[in-house]
Order: sequence, then structure tokens, then C-alpha cells
Amino acid sequence: MFQDESSSVTSSSSPLQVFSMMSLSPNLGSPYPWLRELKSEERGLYLIHLLLTCANHVANGSLENANIALEQISQLASPDGDTMQRMAAYFTEALADRILKAWPGLHKALNSTRITLLSEEILVRKLFFELFPFLKVAFVLTNQAIIEAMEGEKMVHIIDLNAAEPAQWVALIQALSARPEGPPHLRITGIHQQKEVLDQMAHRVIEEAEKLDIPFQFNPVVCKLENLDVDKLRVKTGEALAISSVLQLHSFLTSDDELLRKKSPLGSKNLNGIHLQRALQMNQSTLGELLEKDMVNGYSPSPDSASSSPQSSTGSVKVDSFLNALWGLSPKLMVVTEQDSNHNGSTLMERLLESLHSYAALFDCSESTVSRTSLERLKVEKMLFGEEIKNIIACEGAERKERHEKLEKWIQRLDLAGFGNVPLSYYGMLHARRLLQGYNCDGYKMKEENGCIIICWQDRPLFSVSAWRCRK
Amino acid sequence: MPVEVDNSSTVSGEASVSSTGNQNPPPKSTVKKKRNLPGMPDPDAEVLALSPTTLLATNRFVCEICNKGFQRDQNLQLHRRGHNLPWKLRQRSSKEVKKKVYVCPEPTCVHHDPSRALGDLTGIKKHFCRKHGEKKWKCDKCSKKYAVQSDWKAHSKICGTREYKCDCGTVFSRRDSFITHRAFCDALAVESAKTQTNPSSEPDPKVQAADSLPPPASPPVSAPSAVTSSDMPIQSSVLAEDPNIVVEKAPAPAPALAPAPPPASLNGSCSTSVSLISSGCSSSSGVFSSLFTSSTVSASIRPPQPPAPAPPSAGLNGSCNRSISLVSSGASNSSSSGVFASLFASSTVSASIQPPQPPALTNLIRADLAPSTSIEPISLCLSTSHGSSIFGTAGQEHRHHAPSLQPAMSATALLQKAAQMGAAASNASLLRGLGIVSSSAPQENLQWGQAQVDPDNASIAAGVGLGLPCDGSSGLKELMMGTPVFGPKQTTLDFLGLGVAAGGNPNAGLSALITPIGGGFDAATAAASFRGGDYTDKDIGRSS
Repeated sequence: MFQDESSSVTSSSSPLQVFSMMSLSPNLGSPYPWLRELKSEERGLYLIHLLLTCANHVANGSLENANIALEQISQLASPDGDTMQRMAAYFTEALADRILKAWPGLHKALNSTRITLLSEEILVRKLFFELFPFLKVAFVLTNQAIIEAMEGEKMVHIIDLNAAEPAQWVALIQALSARPEGPPHLRITGIHQQKEVLDQMAHRVIEEAEKLDIPFQFNPVVCKLENLDVDKLRVKTGEALAISSVLQLHSFLTSDDELLRKKSPLGSKNLNGIHLQRALQMNQSTLGELLEKDMVNGYSPSPDSASSSPQSSTGSVKVDSFLNALWGLSPKLMVVTEQDSNHNGSTLMERLLESLHSYAALFDCSESTVSRTSLERLKVEKMLFGEEIKNIIACEGAERKERHEKLEKWIQRLDLAGFGNVPLSYYGMLHARRLLQGYNCDGYKMKEENGCIIICWQDRPLFSVSAWRCRK
Repeated sequence: MPVEVDNSSTVSGEASVSSTGNQNPPPKSTVKKKRNLPGMPDPDAEVLALSPTTLLATNRFVCEICNKGFQRDQNLQLHRRGHNLPWKLRQRSSKEVKKKVYVCPEPTCVHHDPSRALGDLTGIKKHFCRKHGEKKWKCDKCSKKYAVQSDWKAHSKICGTREYKCDCGTVFSRRDSFITHRAFCDALAVESAKTQTNPSSEPDPKVQAADSLPPPASPPVSAPSAVTSSDMPIQSSVLAEDPNIVVEKAPAPAPALAPAPPPASLNGSCSTSVSLISSGCSSSSGVFSSLFTSSTVSASIRPPQPPAPAPPSAGLNGSCNRSISLVSSGASNSSSSGVFASLFASSTVSASIQPPQPPALTNLIRADLAPSTSIEPISLCLSTSHGSSIFGTAGQEHRHHAPSLQPAMSATALLQKAAQMGAAASNASLLRGLGIVSSSAPQENLQWGQAQVDPDNASIAAGVGLGLPCDGSSGLKELMMGTPVFGPKQTTLDFLGLGVAAGGNPNAGLSALITPIGGGFDAATAAASFRGGDYTDKDIGRSS
């Protein structure tokens, strides 16, 4: 019955053959032999198609169809295939996880015996640091900004919101010890959930500081970042404070945003809606004025934060209070590294489409950097990217921590919290570019935007680094 | 010692403390006694015995008018001025203030005795806390606890600063105690007897490198030849030397560049890259020299093209690892501050080092990259030493694979294509939609297996996909809804099956695509129905 439609397509007699093959041997071996015959491009496209279909079904709640789609995808996807196959594997795992959450008992039971080895987590972080240049570039830029801001300072206190990688501070210690005016008295406060990680870091940085004979102190703070009490950081008067936040702020965007939006009738979203309606009723000439008035009220919609800007102004209580607490410490410098993608959309499909693009870039990057047979690559993809994808797709509310947002939104937020942008220096960019060049892979690109630096893979922005000062 | 108990509150200071309604209880006893400090107070001083509560109270001086408490008498006086008191009440006291000494309220304490009273209120407070109080302040570095905040602060400043460390391991914060200890430390004798060993427990490549660096002697021109002799210490020394040499004389890179042989040879390119890198050294701080020398090695040993299936060898990894640290240490030794040397010195490169294929790599690099070309070959030099045989085969393998592996499209490109197709399929005008498909897609596919497809895709699709994510995503949505059938259709060569043929019969081709719009799963479900009886009923029902 498909004959008619496809007869005009000359070379497509084989699909029919395939179909007929299937009818002949319905139960032999794998149900979809023709799927295996696909070349990687077609397979990739088909995977995309299936993924989108499946996600749509999941979003609509038609689990039966979703199940079929998942079945098909599982025939094609594989964590050690080509880029698209790997991506599909992790995305479908995330979708399946999401479906399973509809049965909380089942979900919990399946995950109850999972073992997460701390050593594996540490290893994966290390691998990500070494295989990809993103963290290194962030560290290079952060350190350079710190060095420049701390010129002439005798007492320097650095707070690392996620003290997991000693290399950053080892490098900074080396740079500071080579300062023409001599090294400052340096204090580093490292925050992390796991004491072992902090111990390792302490050992490493103290060793380095002793080697270079710098007056140095390392203060470990073992706690979850969201439970951080800034008094524990013991910021002293008279010392210059720098804060380094690498991929930490986005988890603060979890809040009961759904709750907030429902609760507050005077939330800015509604207010703007009201204004907009009124505006539409008014004259064309007054529309502009009304919109201007809206902006003056403090709600400044930026052109590309179209769909989710209302949510950002109501649903980000946690991040605002955290930023305020940091602002209260009067840091001389705060360097923020964040993912530069919008994975915080309110609907599943929004997030899926965005994350498909971002993680496609990341997986491509991985493909160009490491071989397919590498176990390390598999680990990074599974335990880092895969977990992020799972969090973005399958979790909601307070569970969903990977709430990446675009740089513009972060700029707004930080600005609102009382921070002024400090453009990253040309020198820092130069060093970072050299680093990227050293990776011998022309996929890595860096561009500068309003004093902030965005690290891209080909055309896709992935990470952004920006520096801020406390604006009184 | 004559002690006169005087219960009358003639002492005005005392009166102000005890007369108010705040929580300070009156002092236990007031004695007139003068003693000298320390430990032997002035006999004429007035001995005050305050209760623990009074002692520890922070606001001992209370204004009688408004009951506001102050820590210091002077502050209280200043405050009282504001009340505009009449002249009579303004005077504090007619007598001069007597010297006061305090006894510790704790009966078992030696300072409880008035003869051992302490003369300073702050002093007695601290004493009381230290000896008889609870230790509320804890040092966060060590586990020492303190009852007095100032003690704790003073300790925290010192704790961990560890300025002096004897060889026996004892740590001192004070120079004098350190020197004294050291003079008598036995460990010194033991230490001098031992030969110098590596101080760190883990293999410290930097130390090894430092030891193994031969003195810089060979001129840069000969350096390249040294590089290709596969001996790692020499390599590192070469790289270390070059920076030195270049630092001394700026024109050095020029002669190093001059003998750059044709691209096929690694020598010249090595020296070029080295001198370029070391010119980085000679610039302000040579900060990142180590950074990209090692990072070059670490991450760059992948051909920029799709992966060649070369097996990583453990030996290679290990040796490469050492080479990296040697390189970085070599460079950082020569540069004043390798800011990020450590970022890469410690990088274990096992995962990312594939057996590099320098000849193919060089060719590819020459072909593709322009300015940063010189930097990459350094990785080649280093890896050259690790068995050219691997390179030979792998290189050929790579070259052989290059054309056939090209079709492995990047996921980004695939997404763009999908978006394009979706966008195309969703167009109202079939022909126009097809026009897009046939013009863009076939050309891309025709170039299949030849030179770079990915950049083309990316550049073409950038406008469609990445640049306009909304459109891209909507395109994907359209794709999802509109083209469920293309899967099985493509089992032939490629999409050309659709595109080229469609060139001849546009309507028919697209209609095949468009027919199941809204059906969603028709092909899939049809296929499923073929598979077995399981889905038959549901699917057929759904597809209708």
C-alpha cells in the first residue's frame, strides 16, 4: 500500500523491499533489521525525529506511544556509537526517567540500590577538566582577573564556591608569587560538600604555597552551597575579597517558581500582562510611553529573554538572596562562569530542543577530542553530560538543579543584585586564546561580548565567563 | 591585711552600677583596700568583689536617667551630657576616683583572696573566663578551644601560618622557639647523613626534569635535529633551551624559523613552534608557555578530523604523560611564572592521547589551519619519539579512513539538517519547500566522502539552526510531525534518493512525506505491526 506513494521515487525501491522483508520475517532476530542498515546520517536524523516524537508523547502523557518510540530508539542508540547515537542514548534515558517518575514508588525502588562512588565522581570531574578546555579557560580568565584586581593588595582572600580542582589555585599561587611587588598574604576559603575533596585540595595548595614560600592559609568549609552561611566564611575587614563561582550559581535558580507564579497576583508577570492589555487598548502613541514606564519600574525586559523573563523575575528568590549575601561581603571581584544556554524553560519541549542543540555541540566536541573507544570519554559523557541531561529533562521543581540560563539573564540578575561588570582584560583573553589553540582543534571558539567572554564550540555558545565588582 | 568591709555604697561608681533596674545584681561586698599590681595589688586600692554575672556583664555602666547600659564609664559620661542635667547632678563625684582592684568570684581561685586581687577589670574578666569559664571559641584549623575571644583571634592568626618547619617535622610559628629547637634537633644529624632524595612521595616530574636538564648548549638550529632523535630528556631540554636562548636574544626566532624545512619534515616546524612558544616566554611573564606546550600534547593528539580508530597504548600514555610534565616543567623552569604550568603539568593524558599520526596530521593541519599551525606540531615532535611504527600504520590508517569516515556528521550538523528538512516540509508551497531540500541537501550529499562537509553544513545551517534557535526548534517540530516516513525510505544510498528523484517528480516525492502528517507514527506503527501480533490492533487502529 505504500507502493503508490513511493513509486515515483526511483531509487527507493529498497525501502519497500525492506518492508516486504519485514513482512516476511516478522519474528526473526531484531524486529527492525532495516534500521540497522541505515547509514549514520540517516540514522542520526531518524534518531532526532524519534526523540522529538517521543518527547512530544511524554509531554502529552501518551505513554503508550512514548514507549514505542523508546523501543525504536533503543535499537539505534548506543552510548558507544557516533555522536547522535550517544546523545540519543542519554536523552532517552532521561525521558524514560521522566516517565517513570509518574510512578514514584517504582522510581525510588529502581534507584534505591544505586552506588555512587565518591572516587568515581572525583575522577569524572578531573577528566572533564583535562579532556576539555572549558574549565581551564575559565580558570585562566578567573585567575587573570584576580591578579589584575589584586594589584597592590597585601591581603587577599579568595572564596571558591566549589573547591574541587586545585589546579586553578596552584596556578594562581604561582602567578602571585611572581608578582613584582611580591606575593600578598593569601587566604583561600574552599567550599565543597565532601570533606575528602577539600582535604585533597588543601594538601595540594598548601604544598604549593610552601614551596613558593607564600604566607598562605586554606580554610575548608564543608557544606552544601545552598546551605552556606556567609558568616562561616570569616571575611575580615582590611582584606581584599575575590569570589570565584564556576558553574555554581544556576542551581540557585531552583525555587518554587511554579508556586510563586501562582501565588503572587502582583507578580511582575501579571502586572506586565495587565499593562500590556491596557496598552493595547490605548493609542499607538501612548504604547511606547507605557512600555517605557514599565521599564522604569525596574522590570527591564531584554530583547531575547522573551519567553521566560517573567519567570526569572518572580521565581529567583533563592538566587537573589544568595547574591545579596555575597554582595554583603563587599567583594572586590567576583568572577562567574556559567553555562550559556537556556535550559530553564518551563516546558519540557522547550528544554529538550534547547538542550539538544547544546549537548549536540558538547558531544561533537567530545567526538573530536577523544576516541570512541575511550572509557574516560564514556565516563564523562555518562556521568557528567548524561546526568545533566537527565536532570534537565526528567526533573522538575526543587530537584531540577541544572537550570542553565543565557548570559544576558545572568547579567541582568547580577546587575540587579548590585554588581557592576568588570570587563575581562585583553591580556586574559589572549592567554585563553592561546590555550584554546593549544588544543589543536579548531572547533573551539571564543568571543567577547560586553566585556564577558563566551566559549563556543563552532557556533554554539557553551560557557560564559564574566567578572563583577561590588557596586555600592 | 586589714580589710574593711564597707557596705555603704559611698563609692559613686559602685552606686551607678548597682542602683539601676537592669539585670546587674549588686556587688557582694565592697572592701576598701589598696594593693599594687600585679598579684600584689596596691594596698590603698579599693577591692571590689563582683559576682560572676556582674563581671561578665557587658554593660556595667548604666545611666540612671534612662537606664541605658555602656561598656565604659567614659561612654556613659558622654551619654549623660546629652540629658542636660542641672549643674548639681552633673558632677559625678566629689572625690577623686579611687584605684580599684578586683577579686575573682570563684572561691577556689587563688585570686579570690583580696591580697591577690587583679587591678584591671578587663584582666579579671579574661582571667575568669579563661580559668573558670566554658570554652566557646574554637579554632577551625586545629582543635584548640578558647574561652576568651581575643585569645582565639590571636591564635587563629597564627594557626596554620607555620612559618618555620624543622626538618624533623616540628612546626613553629615563632622564630625564637624554632631556632632553639633546631639547634638541638637530632633529626638534623640524621638528615645530613642521608643522600638527597625526592622530597615528595609521588613521582615529581618537575624535580626529575630539573635534574635531567642538560645545560643549554646547542644552538637553536641544531635543536630540531635533536628533537627528532627520540630521546625525551633531550626533548625537554631542547624545549627548555629554546626559551632560554630566545629570551636572550629576540631575533633568535628568525634564524630558527629560517631553516624551517618543508612541511613534511617535523624538524623545522618543531623549532618554529618552539620558538613561537618561547617567544611567549620572552613576553611579559611567559605565563602561559607551559600552558599550551603541555596542553598541546595533552589534548591535541587527536586529528582534527573524525576519529581514526587507533588503539591507545598504555605505554604511550605513560610516556606521554612524562613528556608533558617534562615539557611543562622545562618551560616553566625557564619562564618566570608559569601561571598555568601546573594546570597542565599534572594532567594525566591517558585518555586523550591517541597514537598520533604526524604525517597525516601535519598534512591535515597544513591544509586546514592557518595561524596556529606552528603550535600544533610540537605535539608531533613529542609523540614522534614514541614509536614511529605506530604512527606509520596509524597514519596510513587515518588517511585511508579519512574519506570514508567523513560522512560521520556531527550532531550539530544533523540537527541543522533536521531543522532544515522540517522547515522545508512545513512550507505551504510544496515546490518551494522542495526547492530548499533539493538545492541544499543534495549538494551537501554529493560532496559526501570528499572534503569538509561539516563546515559547509554548519555554515549553511548556521543561519537556519543555531543562529535562530526558535526557528530551528520549530523546524525540528515540523520535522517530527511531518516526516515520519523518511526513515525507511533512506535505506538506499542517501537522501539523494529523495532529493534527486524529487527533482524530477517534486510533487510525488513530497507528497509521500506529507501524507502521514498528523498520523505521527504511521510508518513506525506499520513496521511494528509487521513485527508481530502484539501491536497490530492498536497500531492499525491508530494509523487510520
